[in-house]
Amino acid sequence: MSDLVLSTAQLEVKRAPSGIGSLRIVQTACILVIALVIVSPLLMLFVASLKDDRFQILADMGSFRAFWVSDPTLSNFMEVGNFSGQLAFGRYLMNSLIILAGTVGFGLVVNSMAGFVLAWGSLRGRALILSLVIALYVIPQESIIMPLVIMVSRAGITDTFAVQIVPWVASPLYIYLFYQFFAQLPKELFEAAQIDGASVFRIYRSIFLPLSLPALATVSILMGIEAWNQYLWPILVTQTDYARPIAVAIATFFGQDSIYWDRAMAASVLMMIPILALYIAFQRWFVSSFVGSAVKG
Amino acid sequence: MGKRLLSLLMASAALGGFAEAKTVIHVMHQGDPGWVATYGDVAKRFEAANPDVDIELIYAPHDAYNEKFSAAVMAKQLPDIMELDAPFLANYVWSGYLQPIKPLIDQDVLDDMTESNIAQGTYPADKDLYAVGLTDSSVVLYGNRKYLDAIGARIPKGVDDAWTREEFEGYLEKLSKLDGVKWPIDTFRGYGIKTEWITYAYGPILQSAGCDLIDRETWKSVGTLDSDACVEAMTMMQTWVKNGWVVPQSSGTNQFFAEGHPAALAMGGHWFYAEAAASMKDDVVVMPLPKFGPQGASPNGTWIWGITTASENPEVAGKFISFMLKDKQFRDYARDDSAYPGLKSFAADSPLYDTGGPMAVAFEQASKTAVARPPHPAYPIITSAFMGAVDEIFNGGDVKAALSAAAEKIDEDIEDNDGYPPFDEQQ
Repeated sequence: MSDLVLSTAQLEVKRAPSGIGSLRIVQTACILVIALVIVSPLLMLFVASLKDDRFQILADMGSFRAFWVSDPTLSNFMEVGNFSGQLAFGRYLMNSLIILAGTVGFGLVVNSMAGFVLAWGSLRGRALILSLVIALYVIPQESIIMPLVIMVSRAGITDTFAVQIVPWVASPLYIYLFYQFFAQLPKELFEAAQIDGASVFRIYRSIFLPLSLPALATVSILMGIEAWNQYLWPILVTQTDYARPIAVAIATFFGQDSIYWDRAMAASVLMMIPILALYIAFQRWFVSSFVGSAVKG
Repeated sequence: MGKRLLSLLMASAALGGFAEAKTVIHVMHQGDPGWVATYGDVAKRFEAANPDVDIELIYAPHDAYNEKFSAAVMAKQLPDIMELDAPFLANYVWSGYLQPIKPLIDQDVLDDMTESNIAQGTYPADKDLYAVGLTDSSVVLYGNRKYLDAIGARIPKGVDDAWTREEFEGYLEKLSKLDGVKWPIDTFRGYGIKTEWITYAYGPILQSAGCDLIDRETWKSVGTLDSDACVEAMTMMQTWVKNGWVVPQSSGTNQFFAEGHPAALAMGGHWFYAEAAASMKDDVVVMPLPKFGPQGASPNGTWIWGITTASENPEVAGKFISFMLKDKQFRDYARDDSAYPGLKSFAADSPLYDTGGPMAVAFEQASKTAVARPPHPAYPIITSAFMGAVDEIFNGGDVKAALSAAAEKIDEDIEDNDGYPPFDEQQ
């Protein structure tokens, strides 16, 4: 009997690793397939940007040739990457970078300050203000866009960088994100600094802000993507190419009669690079922010 | 000394101000990169010829043009000149955004306009001209010569010779069984429902079948759009889709000349010729739109130029439009882009559309079968309601119910606006 038990146990020991092994292969295969599905549009975009015939790009779509280029050329990039002329995409790219830097830079300061005050400030009716901030989040941007257009035109700031930065600096979502992060930090930190005589602003700047790298990274990335992809707003509030971002410039390639896929793809690749760089720069803290929020009780 | 210096500074500032005082004309437009560059060049040439005028171009992407226009209206920042899609003209005039353009445009340009160009720029309530363009547009039936020869199809010689519905559907069926043909026809569903395509291209099918989007005398849609003739015409199109004869929306707009040529026919705009001919060379056959009922019908109307009521310098604005429409380089670019002529002199300079030219049949349609989209201030709702109905029908919805719902929506809008006077007086 004992021999039988022993032999069964040995069998189980042998089977277990092989079962896990095949499961891992299946898992890996699934991950690879999913990764391929996710990456394939980007790959198609990049490959198409290296083709100089827009009709060929159209003809190749829907077949495996969409992922292959026999005579790669950088002519599309040369054409859209210039800084002068009627279609100065280099200029538009710079405009987008200025808008991105302005929105994220001011946004981090304003939203983190608001979040900190809501978490630790001695305001009366803090809970009510917080509820209002959350309530604001559910109002769709589309419903306020026309009144906002009237406001900025009356303020005389249309066709400027400011009109594309200022309205989007304060955001209920990011205020709430900062609030949530600051509120989770230990109360002792705040009290110890107070005992040492630090002002509320000093506590925010010297203690809480340096500890909030994951929140700063998360907001930077989300806010950056939002600012980078703004399309309708710049169309409505800008008249000339002085402050127009690249997303609007790319729309030029989608004409009434034809779509210039070759140049649109090259411009899209160029447009992708800065936001990808932002993500890579902040990725470590971005991920840790999500992991942190998931494991905290 | 201080006062003298101050006076000197003020005087020089004033002189400088006078020296720089130029008339600024804002021009709002859409267009692809080629057109954007062309407008920029023509503006520079006009400024060189008129040193006291500055032309400021305001670009708005094609798909967001109406939003940009609405924002300009709300912000009271209407440009002096605006490019507008012809079927929306009645709405803009009724709303008070455009001014009559005849007194502002050079007489030789006005005398040069084709009939359909005059029609697309005329507001029917007062019969006045509010916009003018170098170009117009049309839709034709493109065919793959090899496939048509393989099924023994008759190739029409001109508009009077167009296929009948029976011939057309018979050919679709034969083509559906032909080796190499995946879809007998591309009706450009790929353009989606956010453009004017459905109303522009499919509306004439209804008109050819003996009905319309709206009654053009009573301005009532119920009883017209959901009439038996319209239900029959839309059921016919739904059957093409159900039979798998039509290129689906998800397959894009290039299946006529894509690898292997999976679509045998294409009901496409005049602009499609350049793409199709570049890819298929002599295999492209251009034919008139089929007759789906007693008479043929084809669309017209494109983006044209109007002067807004907000313009403080309408004479200068008119001068710029006249200059642009006569500018040689501007016309050369339009001709090379296979633009459809809206001026007689431009037609004479466009061999593509001239007698014997590959697109001559498209130009012939302009005088024989062109039907403008309903020139009514309710057009924005007419087009959106019809496009919604067609989308529902193509996705398998009940034809009569979809058309009735659209017709009711249109009539409700007209009632809500008290009949858009003076259109109510035309009944």
